[in-house]
Amino acid sequence: MLERFIQAVRTDAPGAEEPAATRVRLKDRFAPGAVRRMTQLGLFVGAVLGELQPGEDDALVYATQFGEGRALEGYLDSFPSASPTLFQTSIHPSGAQQGLIGRQRCVREFFPLAGGNQLVATAVQAALLAHAERVLFCGGEERGTWLVPHAAASDRAFAFALALTRTPEAGALGRLALEPAADVAGALALPDWFELLHNRRPFAGAAAPGWRLELEWR
Amino acid sequence: MASPTATSAARLAACDCLTPFGDAAATHAALLRGERALQPSPVLGREGGDAVPLALLPGRALDETNPPAWLQSLATLLAPVAGPAWGTARRPVCVTSSNFGVGSLHALRCTGEAGHAAHGTPHGSVELVRRALGWGENVAIFSHACVSAHLGLVHASRLLEAGVAEEVLVVSYDFLSPFVAGGFHALKILNTDFPAPYQDRAAGSIGLGDGAGYAVLSRGRGDLSIEAHSLHNEMYHFTANKPDGAGFAAALAPLAAVAAGRRLWVKGHGTGTLEAGRLEATAVALAFPGAPLVGWKGSLGHTLGSCGIVELAIAAAALRSGRTPGTVGSASPTFTDAVALAPFDNTAFDGAVCASNAFGGAHAAFLLSHA
Repeated sequence: MLERFIQAVRTDAPGAEEPAATRVRLKDRFAPGAVRRMTQLGLFVGAVLGELQPGEDDALVYATQFGEGRALEGYLDSFPSASPTLFQTSIHPSGAQQGLIGRQRCVREFFPLAGGNQLVATAVQAALLAHAERVLFCGGEERGTWLVPHAAASDRAFAFALALTRTPEAGALGRLALEPAADVAGALALPDWFELLHNRRPFAGAAAPGWRLELEWR
Repeated sequence: MASPTATSAARLAACDCLTPFGDAAATHAALLRGERALQPSPVLGREGGDAVPLALLPGRALDETNPPAWLQSLATLLAPVAGPAWGTARRPVCVTSSNFGVGSLHALRCTGEAGHAAHGTPHGSVELVRRALGWGENVAIFSHACVSAHLGLVHASRLLEAGVAEEVLVVSYDFLSPFVAGGFHALKILNTDFPAPYQDRAAGSIGLGDGAGYAVLSRGRGDLSIEAHSLHNEMYHFTANKPDGAGFAAALAPLAAVAAGRRLWVKGHGTGTLEAGRLEATAVALAFPGAPLVGWKGSLGHTLGSCGIVELAIAAAALRSGRTPGTVGSASPTFTDAVALAPFDNTAFDGAVCASNAFGGAHAAFLLSHA
């Protein structure tokens, strides 16, 4: 069995908040002027991750199914004069990188994952296999616009960040485990994973075919 | 000093790649001959635009089709390792890329044909591949720009190390499109003067290439071994490295410690941007004094998220054949004396370090040697 213990949890459920409102709400979490260049997902993830104080020796695992939906839409709209800025920010792990670059926080290990039904299982697996003493597992989505009807951008927004350690230090909030289970079938989608964290609900069930996930709270 | 990211050796049970020259053997042979796959091509495909250096698979247009034309090429590449058990819990698949099927979203935007959208997201693109190749659902998807393939290899090594997988198939594919060519051209680093010497440009310049590859990692099968990996993420700037080269040094130091006393050659990232090239060559010379440094993107173009596995397959072919291709497309003067412009005999070497870099100051490297 692979397992780690939850030392801290941060979540953000911004609902239908527009990017301009997000900038106002979260501007104090970032360096002056930085939020102008950040995407909405970069703000969401950067804010919750920043509260966990990432350090160089932490392993960082980042999960998003759609990534920077609005930057992607804007970049596609910019053709034939492709926008260099939107190209950079539409690249997959930029949502996690923006806050870290703004804070100049290097990290040795950074595992950005994408995916559909298997995303939570594979990201948890990456987090539980990491060698680092502390693993930060974060992720989220921003709401897209014209790509949403094509199922190519998220229709909802959320962000989460967890701090995980190997040992159940005093004050651990919970436990996260993944174990092989040959008879298990099913999947745990990223929005459902977020709801478990946001509402501190336990879970024991399929994360992917052959893998059972346990999330316990204390 | 930082410890390596993953230290348990994983054997390379199978490995191959696809470039405009063909498979790893054909690509290795073409590089030894000093051939260059890059050709001046319109940056926006049928929409035209500046001619920039692109290395496309023979007969493949830059514009995306529905279904994507590259799918058959990828299936042909993977045919030797086809099997019913890939994608199960004990034989998982890691798919890595920086592009996946994003060219399909550009095609959607240009044509309005909704059918392109299904292949445009990372999960949509991988699902297309998964179904075509008959894999199960245990497929992890990593996307970290141009170090993506390295992350798949690290994850595979850890699955083996933890005993939760018997073998792992790592697959990476990046096929060019106006989306990515237009983006790099917007960053002003594609050489519209190609094939004029890139050194004449203030920032240097790069070419881009189609590329795909796979590796089957195993605990006990294979004549080559990936002994150790190292990762480092500067988080200094989106498109620039720390000017002191600290990121390059941090990524190479753990491997230098593991390889102390051994004679190695180094396959660098070597895209052709001058500042990154200078920093990389300097860091390699310090970490591995006297080790020859080569780069192959001057011929193949930058195969983006797949470059780590494409160049692994070529490095494996080089170790098996005893001949390492030189730095095709480059010329004197080089950043350091260690840059090898011509092919060389590697039979007296113990192995190779293969390194890649990416947006965000991401660095990844591994040590490849005979098992």
